[in-house]
Amino acid sequence: MALTTTERPTRHSARVPAGSGRGVRREGRAGYLFLSPWLLGFAGFTLLPMLGSLLLSFTDYDILSDWSELHFVGFDNYRRMFTEDPAFWHAVKVTVLFGVIAVPLKLAAAFGVALLLNRETRGVGFFRGLFYLPSLLGGSVALGYVWYSMFNRDGSFNRLLGLFGIGGEGWVNDPDWALGTLILLAVWQFGAPMVIFLAGLKQVPAELYEAASVDGAGAWRKFWSVTMPMMSPVIFFNLVLETIHGFQGFTSAFVISGGTGGPVDSTLMYTLYLYIKGFTDYEMGYASALAWVFLAAIGLLTVVLFSTGRFWVHYSDGGDER
Amino acid sequence: MRAANAAKQGLRLLVILAILAIILYPLAWMLGSSFKSQEEVLSNVSVWPEHWTPGNYPEGWTHFKSAAVTFGRFFMNSALVAVLVVIGNGVSCLLAAYAFARLRFRGRKLWFAIMIGTLLLPSHVLIVPQFILFRQLGLVGGDFPYLPLVVPHFLATEAFFVFLMVQFMRGIPRELDEAAKIDGCSPIGVFRSVIFPLSRPALVTTAIFSFIWTWNDFFKQLVYVSQTERNTVPVALRAFIDSSGQVTVGPMFAMSVLSLVPVFLFFLAFQRMLVEGINTSGLKG
Amino acid sequence: MSGTSRRRLLAAAAAAALLLPLAACGDDGGSTPTADSTKPVELSFFWWGGDARAKLTEDALKLYTAKHPNVTFKTTWQANQGYFDKLATLTAGNAAPDIFQIDDNYLTEYAARNVTLDLTSYQKSGKLDTSKFPESLWKYGVVDGKLAGVAFGENTQGLVYNKTKLTAANQPLPTTGMSWEQFISWATAAGAAAKVPGTQDPSADYKAFWVWLRQQGKDLYKGKELGFTAQDVTAWFDLWKGARAAAGTTPPADVIREGNATDITKQLVVTGKALTSWVWVNQLPELQKNTKDELGVMAYPGDPKAQWARASMYFSVYRGSDKKDVAVDVINFLSNDPEAGKILGTDRGLPSNLDVRTTVEGTVTDKAMKTSIDVENTLGKSFGPSPQVPLKGHSTLRSELIKAAESVQAGKASSAQAAETFIAAVKTAISK
Repeated sequence: MALTTTERPTRHSARVPAGSGRGVRREGRAGYLFLSPWLLGFAGFTLLPMLGSLLLSFTDYDILSDWSELHFVGFDNYRRMFTEDPAFWHAVKVTVLFGVIAVPLKLAAAFGVALLLNRETRGVGFFRGLFYLPSLLGGSVALGYVWYSMFNRDGSFNRLLGLFGIGGEGWVNDPDWALGTLILLAVWQFGAPMVIFLAGLKQVPAELYEAASVDGAGAWRKFWSVTMPMMSPVIFFNLVLETIHGFQGFTSAFVISGGTGGPVDSTLMYTLYLYIKGFTDYEMGYASALAWVFLAAIGLLTVVLFSTGRFWVHYSDGGDER
Repeated sequence: MRAANAAKQGLRLLVILAILAIILYPLAWMLGSSFKSQEEVLSNVSVWPEHWTPGNYPEGWTHFKSAAVTFGRFFMNSALVAVLVVIGNGVSCLLAAYAFARLRFRGRKLWFAIMIGTLLLPSHVLIVPQFILFRQLGLVGGDFPYLPLVVPHFLATEAFFVFLMVQFMRGIPRELDEAAKIDGCSPIGVFRSVIFPLSRPALVTTAIFSFIWTWNDFFKQLVYVSQTERNTVPVALRAFIDSSGQVTVGPMFAMSVLSLVPVFLFFLAFQRMLVEGINTSGLKG
Repeated sequence: MSGTSRRRLLAAAAAAALLLPLAACGDDGGSTPTADSTKPVELSFFWWGGDARAKLTEDALKLYTAKHPNVTFKTTWQANQGYFDKLATLTAGNAAPDIFQIDDNYLTEYAARNVTLDLTSYQKSGKLDTSKFPESLWKYGVVDGKLAGVAFGENTQGLVYNKTKLTAANQPLPTTGMSWEQFISWATAAGAAAKVPGTQDPSADYKAFWVWLRQQGKDLYKGKELGFTAQDVTAWFDLWKGARAAAGTTPPADVIREGNATDITKQLVVTGKALTSWVWVNQLPELQKNTKDELGVMAYPGDPKAQWARASMYFSVYRGSDKKDVAVDVINFLSNDPEAGKILGTDRGLPSNLDVRTTVEGTVTDKAMKTSIDVENTLGKSFGPSPQVPLKGHSTLRSELIKAAESVQAGKASSAQAAETFIAAVKTAISK
């Protein structure tokens, strides 16, 4: 049967009526059937540790002491976090600063390069791989050396600046610039969202572009009327995930600052602070509290993102709201 | 007309190459450093080594003399774990995503919210509770120490991929589902005939990321692996920098460069499947 | 099954499973096999280091098995990075190894929380023989009156300098016993002549601060409190502020930070960004491997009596181990048996047993290693009494000192301000 093509996919396509009760029950059963592995995994491997850490956030758990030494401290950890811990607020500041700058830059780079690579030029697959290479390094130990070497006072970056006659700084060792090198590192590894954007671009049905051409649309018009709407679920996904990952950033901060968040706490990302509190200071109860505060804050942000998504994300399956 | 197109192509190529040059410089530096001698490896800033030391590679490869294993063993271990995770994620997350994206069932919105919620908790506070849990389940140690690293992925515990696939699936027009339903398909049938075939971009992306993240994951692998022969690549790489009296930074770079190769190849192989555009018009008829 | 009853079931299962680990821990029972029994015993052994150390350790353990065929080992080793995270996780999951390597940064953390076995009774009965150890060395493993770890490898502070560059610039080499002020003047002159900053600025280095304190009759810790005041810290920071002001004495702030890293390959004396670095004496051979210039080593400035026989690391036994006697016997063997000592060499530092040390020293061929042993032995003759083992929260003290020093170096805080913040943070950390 032929697919009726429309010039612009409508937001609320006509839906075939839900059908008989039997159909609904069948869907419900099928739903749980397909969901069962996730439910099992969630119950078995995720829920318990999460509840465990929530419980621990109300204690003075220090990892090493015997369970008999565990004391409940009520909301003390939470109270201390907000009223007696300047490092907490500092970590929040560093993390927000990082997220607000790095995430948009990274997404812009990823989308731009994905568009650039979307044409069927020769060897495009290899190019994609090359752009993706930085992301392959992940948090490897070699990367720490590389970035440190490039961005210290005697590093390549300063030599490059020297070519243009600009004086160099200590960059990765300078409290004013160290976070900047982290941001640069995050943006440099834009390969991951780029691949997702590419996959999304591939999924845009070609006949929509054809139909648009038939109607006389130029490249710009095609971009705004076809590409962007069809890509919006993927853009939304990348936005949400990169935001979450951005605020959760740990590995690069750890690798570049040597696990300290230095110099002078300028790279003290929230999750790094959490790690230090948990594993170096043995205050795992406090660290758990930090984690749950983080979850609440980012959860709130995610809810906001999902709510606003309602207005600009187009779903081909009929605009089902979340 | 053709000339204008060729010029545009040429310009685009130029831009790509320029950006690439900047982006790849750090990696070129790493490659160059893998050929530097120990004395210069941190003091020589340029990409080119002063003393060409290809010996770093065999040195790194055979570094683990105490356990009599070559670095190749670690590649195998990492590959094994990574492949298992790819399969687990691909299968289980696809199933879960179909439920969330297409099926109506009671509590769906709540479960979806919970699933997104599992993404939000920083993982370091879960390490100890998870370890205790895995110990209780008897998955720690033993002949196949990778069980705690692999088993959860067969039960869709990586919400990132579930969400990814949900978003991709929601880009598939519902008309196709309806068409299949009218033809008498059950939800399972719709999955089999419509959603699964069209989920290729999502599956490929999932495979790529699963492989790479597993390949690079240090801490979890550190906690659960105890024997040197069972080490994975990230754990083994770090052993190079705790040397006490050995020449090891060069070999570390050498092995790091080598360890990029399998991941890069995996990526190239899989991303080729993204090249053939998925085209709904192919379902006509 | 309806949604609500499914959820209730999940909640019940969650509660049950959460309580399970709590119930399973705490009971260490089971008879502990004695060292002489013939029942097969497998001990788990965990240490950090590189591949070379792994080979030596495993060879030494094989020797033990040859003498006690019923005892085998399950060895795990890894890089230092992540070692204590993993050890803590294993401990939390009741899976700590029977014997594990540990150092003075963490000994109190583990001992005060009852993770390490109290070895005092073994020491008294002679099962753990420390009679040939320098007294101050094994005493450096006593926490709260209990012997928490067996010192394995003696070490002391060492100032490493670049002989090649200094002689090329016709500068005198620094000598043990110079006062701090003399040393700084020396660094200014040497820096000007050699065109490389004279010295790394050690204001972020806890061990330099520690030695400096001890030379004034103070100490890092006294009992359960700090052994110094904010004024001391301010004076320390001011000392180095003055040094930085004199051109050529120290590198700029960001380069100082490079050298603050614990990584050997980043030390300024090796990367050529300063003429000296503040490390441990037994790191000389490793530093030497990273540069073509010849390096020398001496004590930190001031009276060398303030330095002490630090244990570079310890071996401790897990208190929950069910093979305690055998574990102690193994450690005793590794520390005192001459053959084991020869196998292990100086990889972990100078052997604690003085007889073993003399034998081992004779077999060393590496020039830098010989130098470091000589210096260590010479300094050892004049060591004062060891300080107490650092308190819980020592890691925080170290990282806070780095933060405070760097903030002063970067001009973000005055010496007094940084000292205040530092003291406050550390007081909280050790009072937990």
